[in-house]
Amino acid sequence: MMFTKLALQSLLDRKGSVVLALMAMSVSIFVLLGVEHIRHQAKESFSNSVSGADLIVGARTGNLNLLLYSVFRIGSPTNNIRWKTYQAIANSNNVKWAIPISLGDSHKGYRVLGTTTDYFQHFSYGKQHRLVFPLGRAFDQVFDVVLGAQVAKKLGYQLGDELILAHGIATTSFSMHDDRPFTVVGILAPTGTPVDQTLHVSLQGIEAIHLGWQQGVKIPSSSRSQVELEQVDLQPRSVTAFMLGLKSKMTTFRVQRAINEYAQEPLLAILPGVALSELWQMMSILENTLLLVSALVFVAACLGVSAMLLSSIRERSREIQLFRVIGAPPYFLFFLIELEALLITLLSCTLAAAFLAACLVLLRDYLVASFGLHMEINLFTENNFYLFAALISASIIIAVIPSFSGYRQARVIQG
Amino acid sequence: MAIELMNVRFHYPEQPRQAVLNIPFWSLPSGEQVFVHGPSGGGKSTLLNLLSGLLMPNEGQVDILGRRLDQMTSRKRDSFRAKHIGYVFQQFNLIPYLNAFDNTLLARQFSQRRKKQVQNDEIKELFKSLNIAENDWHKPARNLSIGQQQRVAIARALINKPQLLIADEPTSSLDSINRDAFMALLMSTVTDNDITLVFVSHDLSLSRYFNRVESLSEINRLEGST
Repeated sequence: MMFTKLALQSLLDRKGSVVLALMAMSVSIFVLLGVEHIRHQAKESFSNSVSGADLIVGARTGNLNLLLYSVFRIGSPTNNIRWKTYQAIANSNNVKWAIPISLGDSHKGYRVLGTTTDYFQHFSYGKQHRLVFPLGRAFDQVFDVVLGAQVAKKLGYQLGDELILAHGIATTSFSMHDDRPFTVVGILAPTGTPVDQTLHVSLQGIEAIHLGWQQGVKIPSSSRSQVELEQVDLQPRSVTAFMLGLKSKMTTFRVQRAINEYAQEPLLAILPGVALSELWQMMSILENTLLLVSALVFVAACLGVSAMLLSSIRERSREIQLFRVIGAPPYFLFFLIELEALLITLLSCTLAAAFLAACLVLLRDYLVASFGLHMEINLFTENNFYLFAALISASIIIAVIPSFSGYRQARVIQG
Repeated sequence: MAIELMNVRFHYPEQPRQAVLNIPFWSLPSGEQVFVHGPSGGGKSTLLNLLSGLLMPNEGQVDILGRRLDQMTSRKRDSFRAKHIGYVFQQFNLIPYLNAFDNTLLARQFSQRRKKQVQNDEIKELFKSLNIAENDWHKPARNLSIGQQQRVAIARALINKPQLLIADEPTSSLDSINRDAFMALLMSTVTDNDITLVFVSHDLSLSRYFNRVESLSEINRLEGST
């Protein structure tokens, strides 16, 4: 107790230099912890985005592009898939279920996804969690819309509200499907995946709002009445991509090859898990570079603390002699200086964690809205625990330099 | 005997040819108080560091309170010093950022007598007996006057009930009034507690407080010195 008090009082006595060292170390830990936490959370959030689907099929493109636009609604598809092709594959023997996805429209910056009710039955995320409806139900009419949790929350929609979709994916669009308002019939529970930022409508709804449009432009006076619409065949002619659940996992590669070699249309089937890990492999260089830079910043801060402690030892020669005279063994000085370094590190860790938690609270909505990243504010994860342990160990190791200097000075008492 | 030095020779490692101490024999009976005077640089502090076990002689025996310091391990010497030897310096007797109470408590920690309540009561008792005002107990040492600091230094030196007290020019920073008050307090405390005192100073006027007065040059027989 007295030992800790002594170390604390000693640090308080050198407030100026200690505060500067503390700030340097806090900033470095903040960066390191932030990079590591965001990296881990982003990976978790991305990996949880889709589960249960054995294959994702789209027009022929890169694996990552297909993954990004079909799951994360990032980027654009190279082409659409003919409805006939979709049906042929969806109805083949090995396929248990299929979820078609039709993208291309938006609402106030949020993507609109055209699909079937199978989506709500079979789509799963995280550890095989299904989508649930705390409010309302799945769509069953052409102009019904089901909102992701974040869309409903941010835009303040409730069941029964009407909204208009925009053509294209820009936040501000001049091409509105304003003649066909959709009615909110369901709001999904939060999932922490891109589903939260998506508006879900039926494929027929997507078809209906594009009747009378050509090349992305509405043809004037082409609006049809409700009665006319009911007579029109709203069978979609194409979809953007689709997810497949297979009857047996054993057939995954066979089905994948069959789709990739599909003669009628150039297609690409990817395994979501493999594509996700490919995505992370691509990011790993950036990730590791960031981690390395922040680790180096931390080592620099540790060296700064050690330099501060080392210079303090020269100022404290009389103090060290006094300790020795009252019976302190030389190793007492070693541990006292180590404890001072440890206290600075612990305080820095606390400050950095508190600051990071505050930043995450403040930026949470922004990260979700802008990057679709759901950040856990709780920093006491197993991963961070190891990080803190590594930081503390590193600071203890680096503090051996001034501690040993203190020990040596304590051994050499001059008369 | 409280102190017995035999054939003690000492030089600093960086100057092996320049002996600092050469003491054929010197002893001090238990309970006696000795005043040792000598000029600055005469090896006074080195002698005191040998007596407290902070330095080891290159040759000879250092017998303190019946124990051979020169045969003890460094760790045992540290523990012996904490338990049996009190030390008062000219200045910088206290850790400046700790208060008077904690400075005294710290000395107690190293003697391995750790019953907290007992030690707190003992410190309070000691402070009262040394007339250390209660409102100074919890002030950082650096905020105390030099006179007050020296009183706390005596308390710190006495808290472990040492049999040997070493005072290294403890009055040099005090004015005459404080010096006399300090000496009166020190002498009465060591007499009351039957403590052996080695008091080193260049100020011969202080010799009046002692029955035994010795010159360092008589103890330390360096070749070529008078």
